[in-house]
Amino acid sequence: MGFIELNVLNNAAQNVALGIDLGTTNSLGAMWKDGRPIVLHPEGDSGYVPSAIHFPEKGMPAVGRRARELALVDPAHTLFSIKRFMGRGLAETREDAASVPCPLSQNENGVVQFEMRGRKFTPQELSALILMKVHDQACKALGGIEVTKVVITVPAYFDEAQRQATRDAARIAGLDVLRIINEPTAASLAYGLDKRKQGVVAVYDLGGGTFDVSILRIEEGVFQVLATHGDTHLGGDDFDRALVEVARKELSALLAPNVLEDRAFLQSLRLAAEKCKIELSNAPEAYMHLAMPESGVQWRRNFTRAEVEALWAPLIERTLQSCQRALADAKLKAAQIDEVVLVGGSTRIPAVRERVERFFNRKPHIELNPDEVVALGAAVQAHVLMGGTREVLLMDVTPLSLGLETMGGAVAKIINRNSTIPCQATEGFTTYADNQTGIEFHIVQGERELAKDCRTLGRFKLSGIPPMPAGMPKVAVRFHIDANGMLTVTAKEESTGKSARIEVQPMNGLTDAQVESMLNAAYRHARDDFDARRAADLRTEIGVMVRATERGLGHASGQLDRETLLDIQDALVKGRAALEGALPDATTLQRVRDQLERATLPLAAALMDSVAKAALSGKKLSEV
Amino acid sequence: MSEFAAKCSKCGAEFESPLGCTACGTLAAPEREPTPFEVFGLAPSFALDAAQLRRKLLRLGRVLHPDYFGAADEATRALAERNSARLHRAHDVLADDAARADWLVRHLGGPSENEQREMPKAFLLEVLEWNEQLEAARESAPGSRERTALAGLEAELKQQRERALAAVARALEPLPPRAAPTLREARSQLNALRYVDNTLAQIEALALGAPSSH
Repeated sequence: MGFIELNVLNNAAQNVALGIDLGTTNSLGAMWKDGRPIVLHPEGDSGYVPSAIHFPEKGMPAVGRRARELALVDPAHTLFSIKRFMGRGLAETREDAASVPCPLSQNENGVVQFEMRGRKFTPQELSALILMKVHDQACKALGGIEVTKVVITVPAYFDEAQRQATRDAARIAGLDVLRIINEPTAASLAYGLDKRKQGVVAVYDLGGGTFDVSILRIEEGVFQVLATHGDTHLGGDDFDRALVEVARKELSALLAPNVLEDRAFLQSLRLAAEKCKIELSNAPEAYMHLAMPESGVQWRRNFTRAEVEALWAPLIERTLQSCQRALADAKLKAAQIDEVVLVGGSTRIPAVRERVERFFNRKPHIELNPDEVVALGAAVQAHVLMGGTREVLLMDVTPLSLGLETMGGAVAKIINRNSTIPCQATEGFTTYADNQTGIEFHIVQGERELAKDCRTLGRFKLSGIPPMPAGMPKVAVRFHIDANGMLTVTAKEESTGKSARIEVQPMNGLTDAQVESMLNAAYRHARDDFDARRAADLRTEIGVMVRATERGLGHASGQLDRETLLDIQDALVKGRAALEGALPDATTLQRVRDQLERATLPLAAALMDSVAKAALSGKKLSEV
Repeated sequence: MSEFAAKCSKCGAEFESPLGCTACGTLAAPEREPTPFEVFGLAPSFALDAAQLRRKLLRLGRVLHPDYFGAADEATRALAERNSARLHRAHDVLADDAARADWLVRHLGGPSENEQREMPKAFLLEVLEWNEQLEAARESAPGSRERTALAGLEAELKQQRERALAAVARALEPLPPRAAPTLREARSQLNALRYVDNTLAQIEALALGAPSSH
């Protein structure tokens, strides 16, 4: 049975929250139920929502599996891997932009926009569509109960801008985000919970677009992250791209240069590469197919594991370098890791498993489904946040150092990477010129020495400092990172108590007003969506009523007076008309349905009579 | 310094930390910023029982963490954020030998690292030699003799680190009175320690390759 029973009478639905894994390739919802997290899926459905969106010529975009199917016939209007664009500016996404089948631009805050069918969409809006679909699936699995509180996972190595973009996407989707948590940490929750494990665990998370490694100590329900490292642009997509490059080179003899650069063609090639990659995880060799009837090209290329492993080796090496750095930060050697947990679909690649096993000299755990474990962990955290338990304590870290630009463009680190969050630190600053009345602060995130090499999180100015000789004013700048990993900075001049405070709005982010307007648009669409669904349901119901009435008239029309029969005929005509052609709006359909119901009441009574008589006389209903 | 409330206003249990009650889970708002030692209910001391500190961290974490106040009012949630941040910050200071010593030296009115930059005399001679080795390794290819020689330098630096830490411990145990001369000795050894740690970090960076550009 696909439905999960909830005690709605006690408003139980208000005391639950969903865990959502918003992935590069697939997204999934889960929830805590009866002492464990479960994946939420409607009956007969895996619950996985492919993170794909198709834009039809008219009407609402298709999201998920349908979009993936449509990508095969119309690659030019389907988007994948939107997560790789979250919180990024146009200049930073050049490599990924090559596999996007539509033009890209950026808005006035530097947020990337996809131009599809004459409209512009930010990654936040597109991710919101995916979140709505996951949410919709989850609520269906719950028997139609609306749950709006969610915990959403992000790669541990996501920076402030990428986290904020995820948060904005959830707001646009109308969801109430309880917490943003890191994917490898979520995975460890699902892993450690089941096993009551103790010890030091390395979570190796290679997904569709991102890589993270986290080293944790698990002890009596405490999940303490010691260090994390990663790459927000390294995942299965890059493995696909390696195959695409081989194919393009070999196809260059067969196809015109403009075809080789064509966005739709590249999208088809990418999908073919992905399919071949997946097959290679289960077979020693596989074919990559490409059929382009319009160009008369039928292309097939055999890849052996040995060949692709050589292509992929540099990618896998990059993940191991991250592992090395995480170990160094945790002040541990590979031999001191008790368990290795593999997460993310790309860890199904045999070469990845082998290299990870060799690196840690330990067989990794593969018994958990790498595609579900993150969503399950998010559900555990959702349960904790709803007050469900104090057994579990999650102590996560901030992945990147935070600091301020100093004179000369260097960075003064205020909070070091891998500090346990929530955390705070205060640093004193002063003026460098006599009678300087303001200080401008430039907040940066990253490990590089110079501010220009780090990511700018924001700038703010503390003004109104009383004129004093240089070096006299004492300005305390306080950084606070909350449990979501979000930063607030306050600056205070101590002699006057004058303070300035900003909640950091990272570059390449949406303003509150923009989120608000997108939220309204999303609600409008959700409303349209809702109406369309209701109309479709009503039409189905009318179809059932029309057929039942036709059958019923055959049995019992003799028992009805002329006026009633005319009423029924009138309602039937309208009912049949509603079943043909374009879908009428829900209000019209509701009227038609109600008229049918009213008109056929005497018929129903007559039929009931017949049934009763039949029962009394021992005949079967079909013989009445 | 003013004293914190000794007992929980809600359940009457004795406070282990001014941030909250480990008996009943009630958060407390301290009337002033507690020192790292006060946060953990410990007397200032360089010697520290690491296992005890960790037990306290986990126990207090289970009381203060914002995860447990998801349904609470905004002020309580903000207090949980602030107190957890205080706890973690205090732990960062106490758990690290150099950070703990640095805090004690400043707390006792000793010189800060900006006020006293000198290092032990014998140490300075060795610094020159290390720099030369490191420079040679940096200019050589990975796998070269100069690079492999770094393993020896690393071992030597780690020994130096131990020696400097032992000297810091001698200067700070038992805890000297305010502005005692041994605080200058502790600072000088801490400067050496910082230098060793920087050099070790450079060796590690060389071994791991160029830093990733994020």
